Amino acid sequence: MAVESQKVEDFRLTKEPYYLPLGNEIELFESAYNARLPVMLKGPTGCGKTRFVEHMSWRLKRTLVTVACHEDLTASDLVGKYTLRGDETVWQDGPLTTAVKSGGIAYLDEVVEARKDTTVVIHPLTDDRRILPLEKKGEIVSAPEDFMLVISYNPGYQSVLKDLKHSTKQRFVAIEFDYPPPDLEESILKAEAGIDDDTASKLVKIGEKVRNLRTHGLDEGVSTRLLVYAGQLIQGGVEPIAACEATICKPITDDLEMQRSIVEIIATQF
Amino acid sequence: MTFGPAVGNVGMYVAREMLISVPEDQRQTYLRMVEEISDLKYQLGVEVARQLPRLLVEGDSERVARYLSQVREVAATGWKSGVEVAKQLPDLYDAPDETLAGAYVDIVSQATAGPPEDTETAQLATELGDLERELREMEPKVKRAQELRTQLAARDRRDEKRRKHAVELASALPPILARLRPRYRPPYLDLVRQVAAADPEASLEAADTLLDLLNGERVSPEGAAEWVERGLDVLERNKEVGRGYFRLGSKYSLQVLEELKEGLALKSVARVLKLYATALSGQEIAIRGTNEMQAVDVFGVDHIILPPEMHFFEDDASNFTAYKVATAHGAGRIEFGTYRFSLEDIPETVERLRARYSEESR
Repeated sequence: MAVESQKVEDFRLTKEPYYLPLGNEIELFESAYNARLPVMLKGPTGCGKTRFVEHMSWRLKRTLVTVACHEDLTASDLVGKYTLRGDETVWQDGPLTTAVKSGGIAYLDEVVEARKDTTVVIHPLTDDRRILPLEKKGEIVSAPEDFMLVISYNPGYQSVLKDLKHSTKQRFVAIEFDYPPPDLEESILKAEAGIDDDTASKLVKIGEKVRNLRTHGLDEGVSTRLLVYAGQLIQGGVEPIAACEATICKPITDDLEMQRSIVEIIATQF
Repeated sequence: MTFGPAVGNVGMYVAREMLISVPEDQRQTYLRMVEEISDLKYQLGVEVARQLPRLLVEGDSERVARYLSQVREVAATGWKSGVEVAKQLPDLYDAPDETLAGAYVDIVSQATAGPPEDTETAQLATELGDLERELREMEPKVKRAQELRTQLAARDRRDEKRRKHAVELASALPPILARLRPRYRPPYLDLVRQVAAADPEASLEAADTLLDLLNGERVSPEGAAEWVERGLDVLERNKEVGRGYFRLGSKYSLQVLEELKEGLALKSVARVLKLYATALSGQEIAIRGTNEMQAVDVFGVDHIILPPEMHFFEDDASNFTAYKVATAHGAGRIEFGTYRFSLEDIPETVERLRARYSEESR
């Protein structure tokens, strides 16, 4: 993690990220921010959670430090550790410590993927103490007023082995996301991919039909992000069916019959 | 060396210096004599050709005649003795006692011929001759016996294999029959019986393949019969190739099957159609064949009934499209409630429509 080599200001968004509200999520987030409450974003992959956080970061004019959690991510990776530099040992802040100190938004994406000890570290930050203990350094960092912790996770992925404990879940304000309604999804596709009304409408219909296959062999439906990719390829000149096969059909399943049924749905639209 | 036309092939016995040493007027006689004696044995001709010139030079025709006669006499009992006598005899003629040559010839002749009363040797020789003739006559029979022995061993091995495959077939058939749809069992058994009669090993292959073909409705029972008939022709020509045919391991077998295939089987595309219908309608829909109509509610709202084979078109892609259209139609009926209508709902529906349209008309 090369956090130290970057300045905190590098994490400030200067351009408004496109985000189309689907409900009252902006108001909820702002209220949580004002009340110094941590937020949990739940929803399927590619439905706009990360884009929403970016948008809110820009909207609240706060820096945004995003950590994509993975199964080897430890509490030390988040908080910081002593490292050797030349002939001396120096402390290096982790991204969470950097965010806490700077008073920005710390966004732990797919937090359940990280090791269990990371959730213990974030607990003191999420209640009224709002502190981050740096055990190895023997220091406690108090979060400033404008610090906010946001986590996201996809309930569809979780299993008995990988799920947030209730003691963690119940420390957050939860904002639930899902795929946008058709009219809004069309607007998103047009804005993000620059495609025309007809193409956007067809892509949304394909998305809608493919999502009907969830629990019938598909773990997740096609995400808005993949529909945007399809739109971008079509806008770039790729033949629509080929674009949809590459972005909608192939990435979401390896089941050949499932792929064929999705291709038929695509062919029905185009 | 050149000789006159009477010489024949005596040149092979007579060297040039020998002929030159014979007086010119007797040379033709010399050559004829050598030729006659050499007819008995080549080696005799050679030796006589060496010795005759000195006798001819002497000009004693009686001695020459006697010489040839005595050589012949001894040679009749054994040619090797004849050669030796032909070599020694001219010297004995020069002996003071003229009877020496005659006695010498008698002794050698008798010694070579053996006692005249030895009939046992002749009998043995006769018996051996007879046996050898019989053996020569037996040779084709011995050869044939060997051939028959080989053929019978091969047949025995083949029968052993046949019995082994028959046992395997006996074990394999019951579970296959349990898996086979009941209506296909009679034609299936008939077809397997035909193949088993021709070759039990091929019938093992045919038993498996026919199960898939019939259960998967890739061919009708009539199509399967045609496929088996053509396979039996192949089997008759070559067992190994025939077995490959019934295993669907030959190009020809697949080609025949393709010819006999009756459209696209629903079974092969049912899951794709099910997913397609489920995606379109947003609810789980099963795909059933019209052959299952007795077991399902025709107007059920959770399934679409389609023909077990689609053969509107020549190619599978078009037949699949036909299935797809029928599926989309069925999914539409389910999604928009065609089968949800019930006679009991009529009064309420009429009231609702009357209220709605009377309000609008006001």
